[in-house]
Amino acid sequence: MRLRWHHLALWAALVLGMLLLPYLVGNGTLRTMIFANYLAIFAISWDVLSGRTGYVSFGHPFLIGIGAYTTAILTKRFDVPVEISIPLAVVATMVGGLIVLLPALRIKGSYFALVTLAFMELMYQLVQVIRPDLTGGTRGMSGLPTLTRGAVNGFYLSTALMLAIAISMWLLMRTRLGIALAAIGMNEESVRGSGLSVTRLKTFAFITSAFIAGLGGAFYIHYLGSIAPRALFDINFLFTIIVAALIGGAGTVVGPLIGAFFLTFLLEFLRPYLPGAERYFVYGGMALLIYMYQPKGIIALFEAGLGRLGRSR
Amino acid sequence: MAYLEIDGLSAFYGRAQALFGVSLEADQGDIIAVIGANGAGKSTLFDSVMGLTRTQGDVRLEGESLIGMGTSTIVRRGVGYAPERFNLFPYMTVRDNLLVGAYTAREDIQNNLEMVHALFPRLKEREGQETSTQSGGERQMVSLGRALMTSPRLLFVDEPTIGLAPRVCNEIAEALRRLRGEFGLTILIAEQNANFALSLSDRIYVLESGRVTAQGTHDELSDDETLAAAYFGH
Repeated sequence: MRLRWHHLALWAALVLGMLLLPYLVGNGTLRTMIFANYLAIFAISWDVLSGRTGYVSFGHPFLIGIGAYTTAILTKRFDVPVEISIPLAVVATMVGGLIVLLPALRIKGSYFALVTLAFMELMYQLVQVIRPDLTGGTRGMSGLPTLTRGAVNGFYLSTALMLAIAISMWLLMRTRLGIALAAIGMNEESVRGSGLSVTRLKTFAFITSAFIAGLGGAFYIHYLGSIAPRALFDINFLFTIIVAALIGGAGTVVGPLIGAFFLTFLLEFLRPYLPGAERYFVYGGMALLIYMYQPKGIIALFEAGLGRLGRSR
Repeated sequence: MAYLEIDGLSAFYGRAQALFGVSLEADQGDIIAVIGANGAGKSTLFDSVMGLTRTQGDVRLEGESLIGMGTSTIVRRGVGYAPERFNLFPYMTVRDNLLVGAYTAREDIQNNLEMVHALFPRLKEREGQETSTQSGGERQMVSLGRALMTSPRLLFVDEPTIGLAPRVCNEIAEALRRLRGEFGLTILIAEQNANFALSLSDRIYVLESGRVTAQGTHDELSDDETLAAAYFGH
């Protein structure tokens, strides 16, 4: 693993900036930041699985949902404290990751994407009909315990979680393990021919992705204090995650992070002008423009800019 | 007992059979060429030895059967594979491509990198370049280098000259000769370019429609007029 000082400096600047932010902006902006943080966690989780290994998951809300519902049911129905319910939710989500892995051992491409989409849809239907006394059925659950009070604390908690995940993933992806995961996305046969166990690598990617999704999902609903199946297993939610990763730059850690912040603030900024679903139309258009002119995402624009600065010095 | 013995090997893709009882032998330090047209089964033969297809028959390395071992174990036993059309990881640097090959031989990374750089100095100069931006010859070098990072004693090279200029072919040939001479590797080459294969190899196997139809040294095969006309252009 080779670390460069300017990478570390950029991370340090980000951490510092986030620490100071509550002194600079109002609570409204902080609340938006909280959503951006969680979206960044989900986009990083999606990217570990899909951006690296090339197995495009259309079912990420399935994983997030397992984490969210597990901790919601445990805390609400069985009075389990969150210190226990969140780890259990993460473990349950990792098992869910293994379920998503099963089709990936046999199929790839659009077929895999469709199967994962079916997982999401299946779960949406199941939570409504199976034991609605536990899941809350179509209405979901409210009055769940929250971890923090107020925008500032919520912001710090979500930021700490997001940065911890982002930095550990960033480090992990710079090891040879991370390189091998990306190699699968480019040429799975060659990875196999080089003597690597593709199955083991994929299992690692799926479980890691699920771990992050479960962690994010559990903390997210304990921030919201409620869970609603229609919002969670929503195609718009799914696409927001995927588009955040792709706009920012798939196959990187910083890309999905940038994409999540960009998308969240874009949608917030447009809210006064386009109150309804038209906002999604705008971000679709933005996404289209970026794919056409810079398919590697916003991060590639940043890197090009940094490179230009470096040369002019 | 030969170093490598392929014994009545058949291979299948689903219901379709691609190899029909292929047998082949190589002694340690040999360079063996498998020649044949497109679709003759050369790549399938190599894939099968590597455990990448469903097979019947046997493959023995120093008397030990490789069948059923799994590719990862076969590579650990010292069998390296540079597949057809390089099959690199296009958006990765030369160095990262090589490192993916080094997964099964971590202890040897430094030695193997030195060997690769000694054979192909250009790869050292361009270690930070993405392979998608490289020429065909350079990619072939990365592909060979990646296979060498697995610390092989037996190396399978599938069509190393495909689409390359004659000068680059010579560089590749020179590297393969050095691998045998300096590093003691046993090498099997699949080729359509029979003259390239002949200039290098000790023995030649001709593969047609999944069967070995002729074998021998260059001189032996040149005496067969139909073969000579079909593959050697004289």
